[in-house]
Amino acid sequence: MLRRMMLALVLALAIPATAQAHFQMLYTPEIALNEGGEMVLKIVFTHPFDAGHTMDMGPVQEFYVLQQRGSEGEPKKVDLKQYLKEIKWKGHSNAAVAYEAVLPKTVVRSMGDYVFVLVPSPYLEKEEDAYIQQITKLVVNVGGVPGNWSAPVGLPAEIIPFDKPYANWAGGVFRGQVLSEGKPVEHAELEVEYLNHEPDMKANTFKEQAAVTAPHDSMMTMGVLANAQGEFTIGLAKAGWWGVCALGAGPEKEYQGKELSQDAVIWVKAFEMK
Amino acid sequence: MRVLLSMLFCVALLCSASLAFAHTPLCSCFDNGDGTVMCEGGFSDGSSASGVKMVVKDASGAVLEEGTMSEVSEFTFKKPAGDFTVHFEAGEGHAIIIKGSDIK
Repeated sequence: MLRRMMLALVLALAIPATAQAHFQMLYTPEIALNEGGEMVLKIVFTHPFDAGHTMDMGPVQEFYVLQQRGSEGEPKKVDLKQYLKEIKWKGHSNAAVAYEAVLPKTVVRSMGDYVFVLVPSPYLEKEEDAYIQQITKLVVNVGGVPGNWSAPVGLPAEIIPFDKPYANWAGGVFRGQVLSEGKPVEHAELEVEYLNHEPDMKANTFKEQAAVTAPHDSMMTMGVLANAQGEFTIGLAKAGWWGVCALGAGPEKEYQGKELSQDAVIWVKAFEMK
Repeated sequence: MRVLLSMLFCVALLCSASLAFAHTPLCSCFDNGDGTVMCEGGFSDGSSASGVKMVVKDASGAVLEEGTMSEVSEFTFKKPAGDFTVHFEAGEGHAIIIKGSDIK
């Protein structure tokens, strides 16, 4: 009886930990812009559904944007590392090292797509004694002229959107494909999480009020499998932000003698149809 | 035969209509801060606005400057002193007028 009770306790403690998913956020409030201008981005490694434990980020390896107006021509690459500034971001249980980037209006000015790419340094998850590196994309559009939103950047781990990540109605779907060094990842394992607490851009924290309540832990972080071509479809049940992460999609499996999960993350925004 | 022809005509009509509506003309201008204004154009399907006629008019409608969108769908002109409008003229149903006062 005692053993059974202990087992129940262990399970109860274990479940919340497994239900949470790490997500690299690359966030700016609006990604479907009518015109360009100064842009503020927050770069936070956290658990977006419950705004819970937030992780200290290490140095950023790469941060840049690829801009393209129209379907012809080559994307223009602008390095953005010079705009990074270390900040403290407060999750609901702790504060951690994160980054902010204030981009002058010259960066996001022209019409077209802006594919932001963040390559963080691997994060040591002590509980698992393994590293996590989430290579993250955020696609912004100015003025409605599309460009390179669906073009592969050529990252080691990458999600290619089949739907514009900035142009979705709530209730619609978002489709994509998981690539590892440009090749589809067969039956890729994905995690999907809703950004349940709106980020407070001024206070560098999440708002207290949650948008939804999950009836079950499996709906905080939703597990999705891609098909044999690495393609997947998710529903966008509610307006707001949806994070999609392909676990271990990248080719690097080891970092500093420990296991590495090189993940690909993309953020999608859905708008209320009203 | 006649039915078939008229059906074909209808299909053609529907197709041309959907083609016309499938892409929206888009144009945006900004003040370069050096006495010039730059306008960019394009279409919602990603196609280029290269060659589209651009006209700058004063408040009375008199033409101040005329030109076309460049190979990279851009058009730069000297910022007029008074009120003005910029006209992106990509054909019927595909015209855009931007007020000078809205250009930042």
